[in-house]
Amino acid sequence: MIKQLIILFYFLTGMLTPTISFALVIGSDQEEIYIDANFSGEELLVFGAFYSDPSQSRDSKSDILIEVVGPPEDVALRKKDSYFGFWLNSKSVIFRDVPGFYYLSSTSELTDEFLINNQIGLLEKKKSEMIDWSLLTTDWGSIINEKEKEEFYNALIRTKQNDSLYKQVSDEIEIIDGNLFRSYIDIPNTVPVGEYTVNLHLIIDNQVSQEYSYNFMVTRVGIEEAIYSFSKNYPFFYGLISLIIAIIIGWSGAEIFKRFRRI
Amino acid sequence: MSIYLPIAELSVNIFLLLSLGGVVGFLSGMFGLGGGFLMTPLLIFIGIPTNVAVATSANQIVASSISGTLGHWRQGLVDFKMGGVLLIGAFFGSILGVWIFSRLVAIGQIDTVISILYFALLTGIGLSMLIESSKVIRDRIRRKSVKRKIHYHNWAHRLPFKVRFYKSKLYISVIPPIIIGFVIGILSATMGIGGAFILIPAMIYFLGMPTSKVIGTSLFQIIFITALVTILHATTTFAVDAVLAFFLILSSVIGAQVGVLAANKLRGEEIRALLAIIVLGVATKIALDLLVEPNEIFNLSVIRLVF
Repeated sequence: MIKQLIILFYFLTGMLTPTISFALVIGSDQEEIYIDANFSGEELLVFGAFYSDPSQSRDSKSDILIEVVGPPEDVALRKKDSYFGFWLNSKSVIFRDVPGFYYLSSTSELTDEFLINNQIGLLEKKKSEMIDWSLLTTDWGSIINEKEKEEFYNALIRTKQNDSLYKQVSDEIEIIDGNLFRSYIDIPNTVPVGEYTVNLHLIIDNQVSQEYSYNFMVTRVGIEEAIYSFSKNYPFFYGLISLIIAIIIGWSGAEIFKRFRRI
Repeated sequence: MSIYLPIAELSVNIFLLLSLGGVVGFLSGMFGLGGGFLMTPLLIFIGIPTNVAVATSANQIVASSISGTLGHWRQGLVDFKMGGVLLIGAFFGSILGVWIFSRLVAIGQIDTVISILYFALLTGIGLSMLIESSKVIRDRIRRKSVKRKIHYHNWAHRLPFKVRFYKSKLYISVIPPIIIGFVIGILSATMGIGGAFILIPAMIYFLGMPTSKVIGTSLFQIIFITALVTILHATTTFAVDAVLAFFLILSSVIGAQVGVLAANKLRGEEIRALLAIIVLGVATKIALDLLVEPNEIFNLSVIRLVF
């Protein structure tokens, strides 16, 4: 179902700038994802085309990379430890402004080095395999040692992946006819609301040749939005209405069945 | 078919919710229980966040205890004065309970505390039901009838501030019912239960109330306690999910009525023993979650800004 079609022409021809040999056209089937009562996750279609310049040498290798970054959120990550046989939460770390959703897909496996050099990915690792912590805002609490920090960082990615909120794949982009591509991106039902950014990179011979980004929104609509904002803005009346509904259903249920029993 | 829950912020299968509410409602109608002690852990099992499960259960119990109270009220089996005294304690207890709850959420220990409390509660309920029902079954086989003392005289009768409760034919101090109400209030707010399972034996053994008035009075009291807990959660933890509550209430009210009808047709003890086993099963699952090394020792929670 294509709700709205947006096709954006990034470069029409390479004639004006002869060093650029590819043109990129990209679109998405929705510019807004609505969370309504029936929302149970969605599939976002991202598609596009790239045109090659005939003057480009034939053996140059081109790849497409699609990145979707969700709105930033603060998360608390807690580690369980065994105390007298019980597994209880112990140390915790607060990560600030981590993406609520992250998706990275490419037509071929990308090396870490490439991702670092082009500042793509959740958190760039330096060549020494150490994570550059300055890119993250965190409250480490009692954690000071580097190894433990890395353990928490990896756990952050892993737990988000388990919730289907982070994903990195290299086989989800379909190439049709050599220069058309499309990719279906799973948006699970637990996604945060807010502004999402789609970044598209065209990579030629391991160099980013073209980049294009656009945004789409995930928003609550209809009754979902009404209930959510009512509960936040008027919590007392929200509680009261929840109660009244409970009272009405509880009372009428008893009355209706009382009649049944008499018959 | 699934429905998106606006406060829990996830979607669940609508039939799963309706059958969950229906089954818990059926059991509560059959045994005259609130059902919160099963509802909350089952909601957590299907993936509802702990705080939403607790707060929404309280809202659901309002509906089921109203349904139940009406019947007892018509038969004149509600001691309103005793209910009122219990509520004084419960009022302060539930305020303290919600405060404890939000502190536990803030320090990230709510899941653990809820698990331990539920394990203790369910094990206690399950074992006592199992023992009681097996005793009844055994007595029935031996064709013995059990005689019970109607009235207990204990320390509750020696404290000051004595008040006459005409309906319960009691002349006791108001201190014990206030303390009982206070404890139930704390438990109700932190666990999302009505607390009938603790309240009923406490009323019989500590206060010496006549058994016939106990169920109606405890149900009456539970309406107000859970109503208060619902409001407190809605305004402090923002965890009451009206959509979730609606489906649970709808199905549990119907389930409860069917349960009442079924209770008249079926033999109680065997089913009570079966319920005891279900309860112990849930308790075991909770214990295993605490004791067995989890696959993932890290857990993530989004810090939501409260506007």
